[in-house]
Amino acid sequence: MINPDLLALLTTLKMAVLTTVILLFIGTPLAWILAKTQSRFKVIIEAIIALPLVLPPTVLGFYLLIAFSPQYLPGQIWQQVTGKQLAFSFSAIVIGSVLYSMPFVVQPLQKAFEQLGDPLLEAGAMLGAGPMDRFFHIVLPITKASYITAASLGFAHTVGEFGIILMIGGNIPGETRVLSIALFDHVEAFDYAKAHVLAISLLAGSLLLLAAIYLLNRPHKKSINKVVNK
Amino acid sequence: MNLPSLITHSSLPLCVNVQLNYEQFTLAISQKFDLQGITGVFGHSGSGKSTLLRVIAGLEKQVSGNITLNNKVLADSHTKQFIKAEQRHIGLVFQDARLFPHLTVLANLQFAVKRCQHARLELNEIIQLTELDTLLDKHVDELSGGQKQRVALARAILTEPRLLLLDEPLSALDRQAKTRLLKLMATIQTELQIPMLYVSHSLDELQQVCDKLLVLAQGEVVGYGGIHEMIHQLNYLTTTSQTEEIIHQQTSLSLPIKHLDNGYGLTVLSLNDDEEIYLPVIAKQTTAQSLRCFILARDISISLMEPIHSSIVNHLLAKITTITTQKNMALVTALCTKHGEAQEFFVNISAFSQQKLALSVGQKIYLQFKAGAVRTYLY
Repeated sequence: MINPDLLALLTTLKMAVLTTVILLFIGTPLAWILAKTQSRFKVIIEAIIALPLVLPPTVLGFYLLIAFSPQYLPGQIWQQVTGKQLAFSFSAIVIGSVLYSMPFVVQPLQKAFEQLGDPLLEAGAMLGAGPMDRFFHIVLPITKASYITAASLGFAHTVGEFGIILMIGGNIPGETRVLSIALFDHVEAFDYAKAHVLAISLLAGSLLLLAAIYLLNRPHKKSINKVVNK
Repeated sequence: MNLPSLITHSSLPLCVNVQLNYEQFTLAISQKFDLQGITGVFGHSGSGKSTLLRVIAGLEKQVSGNITLNNKVLADSHTKQFIKAEQRHIGLVFQDARLFPHLTVLANLQFAVKRCQHARLELNEIIQLTELDTLLDKHVDELSGGQKQRVALARAILTEPRLLLLDEPLSALDRQAKTRLLKLMATIQTELQIPMLYVSHSLDELQQVCDKLLVLAQGEVVGYGGIHEMIHQLNYLTTTSQTEEIIHQQTSLSLPIKHLDNGYGLTVLSLNDDEEIYLPVIAKQTTAQSLRCFILARDISISLMEPIHSSIVNHLLAKITTITTQKNMALVTALCTKHGEAQEFFVNISAFSQQKLALSVGQKIYLQFKAGAVRTYLY
């Protein structure tokens, strides 16, 4: 039998990696549209994406719990398509994490796309590069630093989630029991030794990750500023 | 160097019939071009010259009207046809170079080569032509303004466009870099025969390299024609204030070189076959057969008698064709005719002098100007 804390670590990593990948795929077009649009709905979309920054996780968790339950449409559709209940499942905590960590991915990308502007894209078009070509060979390499920031922040924030997971995922080992929940369990059971191990590993892990981002981004940040200040 | 000429037909028809409305600005242009050599687009800032290039390039999408190049539709708002910028095979050199900051000079050039189908130009030959050999491994932010524009020019050529648009490529450069790039543009035109549309607010630059000139003001065409003819038309426009003091009234000339150096440090040009015009030596060595030069109207004076006892080397007999007076100044146009050839000259004198000499249309006069008054931008 695998160590329950190790299982929680694996569940956490699985959730965070999946969430980050999904967020980069959804976040890129979303950030692109927000950076390029002049629409008056832009502010509303921006506000919705930024909501998790200010909202208590329990509020979002509460509404998601209701939406995911089989009595309501999203939960019903999920159950009909997959045959499984959505609430208290691994999929539920991934969906919750995607929504909850969205601003940490979309905002840095949107800012990078805004700073990049149109000039280099127009230059690319005049050299015969189509939209996808321009994205992969101009936008992506130049905004690489922002992608690293976005992915790392999204990942780290997902790992650190607690409230929303407790609301919609519960505490099912191997399914929804992630590190932060496991830590809470140990504290509740007055098992401070195990709690210490988890707490210090989460602390050290997050610190290392953030330090790595800042280290990686140092020289690249310069180059993006040069583009902008030209 | 033996470069393949990219254009096989003699001239490229471009038909622009467009209207574009911005909040503060309207562009309304209906003009046919037979593009050959370098065509200049002149106007002050806000006249719409850069916007016109962006429309032709396909970078402005909210355009009503139509554009055809070589009788093929590039855009038509009625039939909702719009060929994307990347599919137009048109090159554009921007005012601010727009090199890719994440790539080296060589990689910037290769970016263009990779996307060019049926490439005929050799990368190495273009690198030599634009003198970029020593810069290939450099990063874009290590380059000077002039070097950046040379890379931008090389990169645009390497896409082998059927039309090259140049949007004030020299405006951010110092005089030396300007001259170098302008010469390079002329060389590229001769070697590769790509028709170019060259936007500038400097008539001196345009006068040097353009064959034809389009003049814009407030988003509309003021005139289109041969370079000298259009510059001369601008002399009148200046007096009627449409283009307000953006140009100095001048006589614009292309003259055959008779002697590169007459032994006294003067180059001799020939006018109407056997008249001579002297100017300070332009270059010790040049293969050019003729020279583009201009004489500012304020640098020419009028004498009623032949000024043979004068240190001023250039004097020509001419007949007054028009006199336009504005405030205290008079613009006199005089025609210098010989052997059936004629050259028009523009002279600015004070209304006071005009009264004193009692000048009138049809009168024969002598135009005189110092060698130093014959200016040329390239040398």
